[in-house]
Amino acid sequence: MITKEIAIEDLVEDYPFTVLFLKEKGIRCIMCGEPIWGTLEDACKEKEFSEEKIKTIVEELNQLANK
Amino acid sequence: MKIDIQAILNKLGIEEVNQGVSTGAQWFDTDGKINKSSSPVDGKFIASVKTATLEDYETVVKKAEAAFKEWRLVPAPERGEVVRQIGNAIREYKHELGALVSYEMGKIYQEGLGEVQEMIDICDFAVGQSRLINGVALQSERPYHRLSEQYHPLGIVGIVTSYNFPVAVWAWNSALAAIAGDVVIWKPSSKTPLVALATQKIIQQVLIDNNVPEGVFNLVVGRSSVMGDNFLSDKRIPLISVTGSTAVGRRAAELVGKRLGKTLLELGGNNAVTITPNADIEMAIMSTVFGTVGTAGQRCTTTRRVIIHEDIYDQVRDSFVKAYEKIADKIGSPLDEKYLVGPLIDGHSVELFIDAVKRVKEEGGKVIFGGQVLVGEGYESGNYVMPCIAEAENHFDIVQHETFAPIVYLIKYSGDVQNAIDIQNDVPQGLSSAIFTLNMREAEHFIAQTGSDCGIANVNLGTSGAEIGGAFGGEKDTGGGRESGSDAWKVYMRRQTNTINYGSTLPLAQGVKFDI
Repeated sequence: MITKEIAIEDLVEDYPFTVLFLKEKGIRCIMCGEPIWGTLEDACKEKEFSEEKIKTIVEELNQLANK
Repeated sequence: MKIDIQAILNKLGIEEVNQGVSTGAQWFDTDGKINKSSSPVDGKFIASVKTATLEDYETVVKKAEAAFKEWRLVPAPERGEVVRQIGNAIREYKHELGALVSYEMGKIYQEGLGEVQEMIDICDFAVGQSRLINGVALQSERPYHRLSEQYHPLGIVGIVTSYNFPVAVWAWNSALAAIAGDVVIWKPSSKTPLVALATQKIIQQVLIDNNVPEGVFNLVVGRSSVMGDNFLSDKRIPLISVTGSTAVGRRAAELVGKRLGKTLLELGGNNAVTITPNADIEMAIMSTVFGTVGTAGQRCTTTRRVIIHEDIYDQVRDSFVKAYEKIADKIGSPLDEKYLVGPLIDGHSVELFIDAVKRVKEEGGKVIFGGQVLVGEGYESGNYVMPCIAEAENHFDIVQHETFAPIVYLIKYSGDVQNAIDIQNDVPQGLSSAIFTLNMREAEHFIAQTGSDCGIANVNLGTSGAEIGGAFGGEKDTGGGRESGSDAWKVYMRRQTNTINYGSTLPLAQGVKFDI
């Protein structure tokens, strides 16, 4: 299960689809060919996403992961 | 030439499962997550590495702290002698290490050899520098006083390296840090751990032969959860050197800055070549194509934009396409010397390349060559792409961002060279830049204070392929750090100002009177 605490490094490795999904949301998980550091929550907060929006993103990611 | 990867792994001491933590000659049996390294060349599994835990990290830092207390007392030329021997050990394994760089990272074998040569070159440079760690004698305003500066070792240097130059960047940092009297902790890229292990194994006999304390050259293969924010925030590490993305560099700057540590940041680029009507166009094309497709567009100095004067635009564009048509037949296994372009590092990079091609079209650009994923025999890993040329405008969002893949944007300019320079500088990054012109005024203008705002500004050669003798790095979102040659050694040391009174009175500076 994906949580907001998941490290980006683990997220993109375990759920490769998330790279383009998050890019569409404005979050670039891979830069210079490497995953950025920090958690999913860190990346969302850097984009000034609200708690509500972060929650929605996590839910959407889990839905896609369970497809 | 046939390269036997298994024979190379055997010679470099890489086993099927490897320990990922070393303090020099000593290796630790760690209990962290297993990192399986696969080759982008053929998708095959190469070997595994047992990564570090937080406990392992703590063990290494303690060893490094203890080692620093001894190493800083070794005379600098003796430290240089150790680095000289490290350079020689790397020379002995140049073919094997270069081939493994090629297989694990995907750059062509010639570039793999070039990367190892950079390691050797910086060791040679550092040996000389070890006898030239010089301060300055200054003029005191007070009689019978001597004012001077000297440089002392700093402590532990944390080195974060990226997959695209997986071993050379370690050498740039660690050779200078070692002669400076520092000790290093190296966090290699999780994508290329095996070349890091191989490097550590190559140098370990030198460390044993010279009784170098355990903890001077440390390697920690670790996930960002073990070698991430905790590493950056660790007050025991006065300098963190990061080569990587602007995002990682910004995080490092924030966390290290919060504890008032030092950073050396060498981050992303958005490098441009300007071709003026006064250029030797044939030379410009040849040089620029190496800059755009070399290392499959995965160098921080890769040419991302080519800014061409409108009077020669059609001619240059057509020449570019012709050159790329020749390159199209030379994409394949980087271990086969008939190929000039290898794969991208992994599927994520391929996806982002395809996405960039799509985005440039959406923004109004025109793809005039390539941009697709290659399929068929030899391309089974799915990581090979046809390099892309797109006509674009500098303000496009996709052009403003660095895509770490072989996509180059052709941009037209009109009027004088200042207009091209303005376009070149109008991006967040400031690493490398180049101009092709035989006009002295244009060339001088390009490198003047009103010219290129990049850390590297070349005339009649491309943006990539720097020598180790110059300081390497850039401005703005590239981070401002300088590695490798020139006086980059100073960042690995702390500067101390000394005032010595050899007189019998106590005059105060600025003539202040304070008589008791």
